[in-house]
Amino acid sequence: MNEDLKLNLRQQDRKGRNAAVARQIESWLETYRRLDNAPDEFIGADGVARAHWVRYFVAMARYSQRELAQRFANVDRHIRESGMSYRVYGETSERAWPLSRLPLLIEGAEWRQIEAGVIQRAELWERTLADIYGEGRIVAEGVVPAAAILGSDDFLRPLHHVSPAGGRWLRFYAADIGRGPDGRWWVLGDRAQAPSGAGYALENRLVFTRAFANLYRDLNIERLASFFREFRAGLAAAADRSEPRICLMTPGPYSQTYFEQAYLARYLGFLLVEGDDLVVRDGRTHVRTIAGLKRADALWRRVDSEWLDPLELIASSHLGVPGLIESIRAGQTVVANMPGAGLIESRALLGYLPAIADRLIGDELKLPHIATWWCGDPRAAADVLANFDNMALAGAFQDGPPGVEERRPVELAALPPERRAALREQVRQRGMDYVGQEVVRLSTMPVWQDGALSPRPFVLRVFVARTPDGWRVMPGGFCRISDRPDARALSMGEGVTSADVWIMADRPVDMTTLLPSGDNIRIVRQLGNLPSRAADNLFWFGRYMERCEATLRLIRAYCARTAEPGSAGANAAGVRARLQRLLIPRHAGEDGERAIADVAAHALHDPKLPASGLALARAARHAASIIRERLSHDIWRILGELETQLAAAHAPTEAETMDRCEDALQLLAALSGLVQENFNRVAGWSFLDMGRRVERGVSTAALARLFAERDATADNLELLLDLIDSQITYRSRYIAGVALAPVRDMALLDPYNPRSVAFQVARIAEHLATLPTLRQDGLMEQPLRIATSLQADIAVAEAAKLDAQKIAAFETTLSTLAIAIEERYFLQGKNAVSAEPMKGLG
Amino acid sequence: MIYDLRHVTTYNYEAPVASTLCALRLSPRESREQHVIDAGIDVTPAPVARHTRRDFFGNQVTTLRIEELHRELRVTSLARIEVHRAPQPHADLTPAWEDVRRDAMASRTLDARSPAHHIFPSRLAPLYGPATAYAAESFTAGRPALAAAIDLMQRIRRDFRYDPEATLVSTPLSQAFEQRGGVCQDFAHIMIAGLRGLGVPAAYVSGYIRTIPPPGQPRLEGADVSHAWVRVWCGPNAGWCGLDPTNALQVNDDHIEVAVGRDYADVSPIDGVILSSGRQKMNVSVDVKPVEPALV
Repeated sequence: MNEDLKLNLRQQDRKGRNAAVARQIESWLETYRRLDNAPDEFIGADGVARAHWVRYFVAMARYSQRELAQRFANVDRHIRESGMSYRVYGETSERAWPLSRLPLLIEGAEWRQIEAGVIQRAELWERTLADIYGEGRIVAEGVVPAAAILGSDDFLRPLHHVSPAGGRWLRFYAADIGRGPDGRWWVLGDRAQAPSGAGYALENRLVFTRAFANLYRDLNIERLASFFREFRAGLAAAADRSEPRICLMTPGPYSQTYFEQAYLARYLGFLLVEGDDLVVRDGRTHVRTIAGLKRADALWRRVDSEWLDPLELIASSHLGVPGLIESIRAGQTVVANMPGAGLIESRALLGYLPAIADRLIGDELKLPHIATWWCGDPRAAADVLANFDNMALAGAFQDGPPGVEERRPVELAALPPERRAALREQVRQRGMDYVGQEVVRLSTMPVWQDGALSPRPFVLRVFVARTPDGWRVMPGGFCRISDRPDARALSMGEGVTSADVWIMADRPVDMTTLLPSGDNIRIVRQLGNLPSRAADNLFWFGRYMERCEATLRLIRAYCARTAEPGSAGANAAGVRARLQRLLIPRHAGEDGERAIADVAAHALHDPKLPASGLALARAARHAASIIRERLSHDIWRILGELETQLAAAHAPTEAETMDRCEDALQLLAALSGLVQENFNRVAGWSFLDMGRRVERGVSTAALARLFAERDATADNLELLLDLIDSQITYRSRYIAGVALAPVRDMALLDPYNPRSVAFQVARIAEHLATLPTLRQDGLMEQPLRIATSLQADIAVAEAAKLDAQKIAAFETTLSTLAIAIEERYFLQGKNAVSAEPMKGLG
Repeated sequence: MIYDLRHVTTYNYEAPVASTLCALRLSPRESREQHVIDAGIDVTPAPVARHTRRDFFGNQVTTLRIEELHRELRVTSLARIEVHRAPQPHADLTPAWEDVRRDAMASRTLDARSPAHHIFPSRLAPLYGPATAYAAESFTAGRPALAAAIDLMQRIRRDFRYDPEATLVSTPLSQAFEQRGGVCQDFAHIMIAGLRGLGVPAAYVSGYIRTIPPPGQPRLEGADVSHAWVRVWCGPNAGWCGLDPTNALQVNDDHIEVAVGRDYADVSPIDGVILSSGRQKMNVSVDVKPVEPALV
């Protein structure tokens, strides 16, 4: 236990401020034991707590225990509500983000050494890539064997002898580092394919700042915002237009870090696009938008190189853009990082790096890395085989060869003898697939677990970006902590938590950089052109939301009709049967005699029923997940709540199911309110609203056809008014009770009833009129043509003269309109299939 | 030997196709042993954009874009080509395969000529333990590389059954290996995987082979097929030697090279993306006609 700290805490104690907390912290420290054979961030080798950690704990001691609990609860709530999540490969659902209570602390002076080291490394890799894809001097001069490079899948042959647009191979590089037993920071690995984690680091910071704003100020913690702004500026400067359109290219919602990608796109103001959204024309890359093709000047890619272009790389890829590589070769698209940059992640290169540094930058490496021997070199292989049992073995390139399939190195000492012998044979046979690495025990940091502090190993990812003024390091990073105390230093994998990383500046932190000065920002009210994919998903989000609401109303009506007195009457039974058919389409072995409560519960909760409340809520959430960067946290939160509610176990009675419908309808009403009030009224909202209107129009017309037929009973007409939520409007207008013509008028023709078909069509026509057109000749495009003609048709129709055929025609025309909207505005390439590969028959 | 080549590929689509983007590798390679006298590719409907380049391995690639609505796409590749191969080195005089492996590992260039491009697994010719073990039987200690490779080729010809129904283009190598059957592609991939498993550089070659009609029967037009075989690197002096495991032949003047790569994916004759939702049917006709000297 450190005396300074004790003293400090005692002083707090004497002042009477939060004495209990001071004692609390003291007791944590008493029980904190660093691991025997590993250095620790908090407690030095001499057993003394480090000064910057002392400063942190003393600052924490200002909060009462209750206050601390409350603030951490805020942190948890924010994480939950923001939908901060990640996906474990192969899983369909996302997991909530695990964030450690304690940050990793690094002193300013030490940080500057790390900064200098990773900047040197970024520059060295940049020159290495330029040399490998260019002149190849390091290979010709024997600094590195060709095979140590060519084993990487990321040596992209189509880019050999290509110079990148904007002149850079690397614009966003990351290094995983850890503190070695000698107290220095060591590089464990390099990331250049599409480094992830920066967005999570930013979100970690945001969450913590909300809860502990004062701490950041008092402890003089470096800010992250300017790093991202300068990265953006670097990318913008590389494009050849003054206000370039920058896209973040994502593999889509099923990628492991989709949350982060959507988050970064929103934070940086980039368009989030998938391969389908992009198209190459005349050598240039474009985004498909509702206003046609618009130039994409720069791409920040999160799609791995090999999947970028089905025409030149993996032919079966659906993540890429045909022709993209050609456009990159022609120097027409700035890409960060250039495809093929990922080859520097190969461990095979590490052993040669000091020599490469000497040749390309004439300098020694400022940060050491884990000693590595590529077994493709006979002498290195002999060394590794001679020390086999003390080594860690790993794949020399990205994918693990037999025996070391995992990404991380395998410690040979820990393996059973027969596996070790098999690996030894593998290394003898095909040494080029393996590297031997020295086993290094990295430092631990304290984490808060079960009411006490314990040491845990961690790895820190540091990010370096190319800016207009050279390389810049994010002052902070993405820290991953292993959940096992005995985890060997290198084996970080699943089961990690993350921690915010605080650089405790010894210089004043520049607060002004957080907001750009007002002068050089142009006021923009309309945010560019909406990508077709976003329009598509907004439209369907609207449709599913509306369809869900309609289903809930049907279930409610169904339950209500059984609860009312006199419901045993013949007519009531008929209505119920009709509703039941709407809710649960008849299928084999099922007749109308299912228990009422059972039908209602299925219609609400059964995920296998395509039109159940739950299935529709899920469909809505899925569509929303693809446009997550455009939706507020509130909308996302309510969608999550709606799904959770509907995913509950079946209710035993129809009365309870009805209550649940009411609750869900209230959530939907809240959602509509948010969409109506808080959604920016640009093109995106138009599509969402059109989706709702089309759906509402179609379903109202269909219900009118079913329940307001020529000889409809009063019961049926009442039911229709219920289902389209027009009871109150009707009663305020007609005192005499329900009759066919007025009900039909209210459902179909009344332009002032916000539930009528007429109203929906008028709104759709309004939206269409404000959307951009592709033609310059002033002629109407097909969707507007259909909407206008339908509007006129409804305007001249008379309720008394309507027949079933006419009502059905309204319904069909609306469906045609929906298809016309899809064809005009959404991805034309959606149905793209790849050409059948030709079979060689020799 | 001089040949007239005619390779016609026809796609028929169930639904009209609005747009096609494709890359063709159909033009024979020009090299010391092969001279392309004349070559051309004809496409209907006519492309709006067309561009020809050489890929990393020196194969000619024609990319094109069609924007016209079509139900049929026809690609016709025509070429007149003269083949005159130098004899392969005497197999027993090539260096020991272990030395070949070592030299490949020490290669000092990243250019297409480096054997190091062909010692690592590729997508369609991954490392496969049983294939490596199978190849190892031919590669006894110190055996000259070409002699060992020829032995492996002959064993494949003997042990594997030619069966066009046994595999599809998507059949994984392991399956073709286990069932001991397939077509030229499968044999080439299996041989490559075995060689690479031992660290011996092996490349994939696509092309054509002249078929000689049974005695007394006329040559049938369009009945020839596209073919595939292997190139093995036998050290810096002997260089690359072509071996055809389907026919157990050292590559000769009956073989016409079109493209070279790490596996089929690098040399696929037609890669493309069409915008359509319907089914497609493909038909291929190949004609390799020796030209009478008098006609040249």
